[in-house]
Amino acid sequence: MTSGEFVNPANATATVSGRRPRTLGHRPHIDLLDTEELDRTHEATLDVLETTGIGIRSERILTLMQSTDAIVDMDKRIVRFPRAMVEQAIATAPRSYLLAARDPLFDMLLDRSKGYYCIEGGLSDIVDTATGKPRRPLYQDMVDATRLADSLDEISFLWPCVAISDVPPEDQAVHQTYIQLANSSKHVVAMTTYNERDARTVIEMGTIVAGSSDALRQRPVLSSFACSLSPLTWDGEPLEAALAFAAAGVPCGIVSMPVSTAGAPTTIAGQVVVANAELLSGITILQTLYPGSPTYYCPFSADMDLLTGNMDAAWGPEPVLFNLAMAQLGRRYDLPMCIGTNGTGAKTQDWQAGVQHTLSLMGMLACGDIDLISCTGGIDNSRVFSYEQVMLDCELWDIAALMLEGTPFTEEHLAVSVINDVGPGKHFLAHKHTRAHMREHWRSRFFRSETWAEWESAGRPDPRTSAGERARELVEAHTPEPLPVDVDTALREVVERRTGKGEAT
Amino acid sequence: MSEDLIDQLKAAVLAADADGATSATSQLLADGIAPSVILESGLSQAMLDLGEQWKLGNVFLPEVAAAAEVFTLCTEIVEPALLADANHRVGVRVMIATVDGDLHDLGKNMVVAMLKMAGFDVVDLGTDVSSDDIVEAVRRDSPAVLGLSALLTTTLPEQRKVIEALTRAGLRDQVAVLVGGAAATEEWATAIGADGYGQHAPDAVRLVRELTGAPAS
Repeated sequence: MTSGEFVNPANATATVSGRRPRTLGHRPHIDLLDTEELDRTHEATLDVLETTGIGIRSERILTLMQSTDAIVDMDKRIVRFPRAMVEQAIATAPRSYLLAARDPLFDMLLDRSKGYYCIEGGLSDIVDTATGKPRRPLYQDMVDATRLADSLDEISFLWPCVAISDVPPEDQAVHQTYIQLANSSKHVVAMTTYNERDARTVIEMGTIVAGSSDALRQRPVLSSFACSLSPLTWDGEPLEAALAFAAAGVPCGIVSMPVSTAGAPTTIAGQVVVANAELLSGITILQTLYPGSPTYYCPFSADMDLLTGNMDAAWGPEPVLFNLAMAQLGRRYDLPMCIGTNGTGAKTQDWQAGVQHTLSLMGMLACGDIDLISCTGGIDNSRVFSYEQVMLDCELWDIAALMLEGTPFTEEHLAVSVINDVGPGKHFLAHKHTRAHMREHWRSRFFRSETWAEWESAGRPDPRTSAGERARELVEAHTPEPLPVDVDTALREVVERRTGKGEAT
Repeated sequence: MSEDLIDQLKAAVLAADADGATSATSQLLADGIAPSVILESGLSQAMLDLGEQWKLGNVFLPEVAAAAEVFTLCTEIVEPALLADANHRVGVRVMIATVDGDLHDLGKNMVVAMLKMAGFDVVDLGTDVSSDDIVEAVRRDSPAVLGLSALLTTTLPEQRKVIEALTRAGLRDQVAVLVGGAAATEEWATAIGADGYGQHAPDAVRLVRELTGAPAS
């Protein structure tokens, strides 16, 4: 770093809108695989796609694929992908594109120059702030959690934080999308859009916010993703939803989340092949039917607990190694990527949660220039949403962002004249140079370092408690940029038409 | 006019602008403003304002230390006139030293800065001060409180020596003794008969207030 104008982002002058998106800069990557291993993994994937193929539970898509180079078995509902077709699809997918936000300050250009963080999505429970126990989330919980996410500069885009229990499941996506759009000016991922009908409604909502279909293509304020069923299967409806997004020019990521030992081989390499095959199959279908439609490569990992069979999203070495390998493949394909971090089996913000989130974050940094990074706020193996966890994860993200900024070694920062000026045996405390630069220091919001006596007299507070208090303050105090009244009215009409009522009762 | 200049003086102290603060101080004296007014409405008020900002977390210790240095420069200008001014009020005097054999003064300087910020009249004897010199200074200046700093476990016993020397000199009951520094502890303070122990600079201010009944700012 050579700039003499280094400004710690934590202390930088706020932008006009008063916000400072906290993104990750360039991340040097670690190559887990050597060239031969990487080639072998890619070849293994092509072999699976060509030999065994992928199950697709949609007559419509099977029929569409019949008119392509794919080999379609209508009876077994299997599509086999010749390697040239897969290579062609990888080459056709856009290298970079924009995920827009209502507030352009939070626009995300997916071009490997920045890393963007998101809030958790669709968790089945939330920690009740009054009881500290998990319960089913209500409509208002989703509103509050979205507002919290909107208030935090570390969070660049929104998954729908929780599954709302007081609306019918079939209306979930529509309600969630409305809450996201109305309570935040950041990019919205309508990830629970599980079928074409939902997709069309969500696209209509995006069109209303953007102003027109063309405007939505130019500045997609929302996007979606479709997730495969491991091993090697696509359920019909999510894939049909993905095609609806592609047809509208709205970005739609392709996600695979094979649970090792159950949905994939027990070896990490085997799990990587299954994930890669599923991802490339989705991308190939999308790029063959809608060439050039914006998509991203999104591998998520989970392990099966060998004793109980429970899904274990907790982070040890395996998910880090899985991510490193997947990131290397994604880099080879030069596709925009999203990868997961922050899995923990912990039930609260304890040593386990802290270590697992820190290790997974550091592992993610070693994956290099990943565009989209999920996600903050989950505990209990991504089942339970926790406000405290969001705040503490953002603190970690903050540290990571600043580490990546580096530190300047200019003449000014080397401070030789200052050192000579002060000389032996004195101190730097009152020096002008100290005052000029001390605000470059990062200051924690939640780590504690008071004396033992002060800590006792304050009632032994812990970072978790402070984080919870801060989250509640933000939920109370933060006012998201409201939608224009006519836009809000039009969105409410869409929700009402689709669901029969505007909000949960 | 003088109010504007007082405001300028306060702003200069807050900004640790030595030139600005000393020239404003000299100008105020030349304009015939009472030295007690310069001290209280200007210099001390600036330090109190700084203290408010420090409490809010808007100001950091290096800023306090730098402002305290400027404060000292200005009080040196005001002092001769102040001594000649029959109406001046003497505040609570606190004496402080790093004990014999110990050259560490960073912590002591922080305490000095914080005490000045809190409006105390601080006599700083410096580092490596023998117990005889400390006793002599206490006899001369009659501070209400004496603060003794020691960073090293090897120099810690000097704190006890100073207290014993004060007792022998018959001065112990005239001055409250506080001990601090990385090597000291609450237990040590009790064992040597000190009147209090502070772990960090804000502790020192709190203890001096408790011992002297000086109001919190």
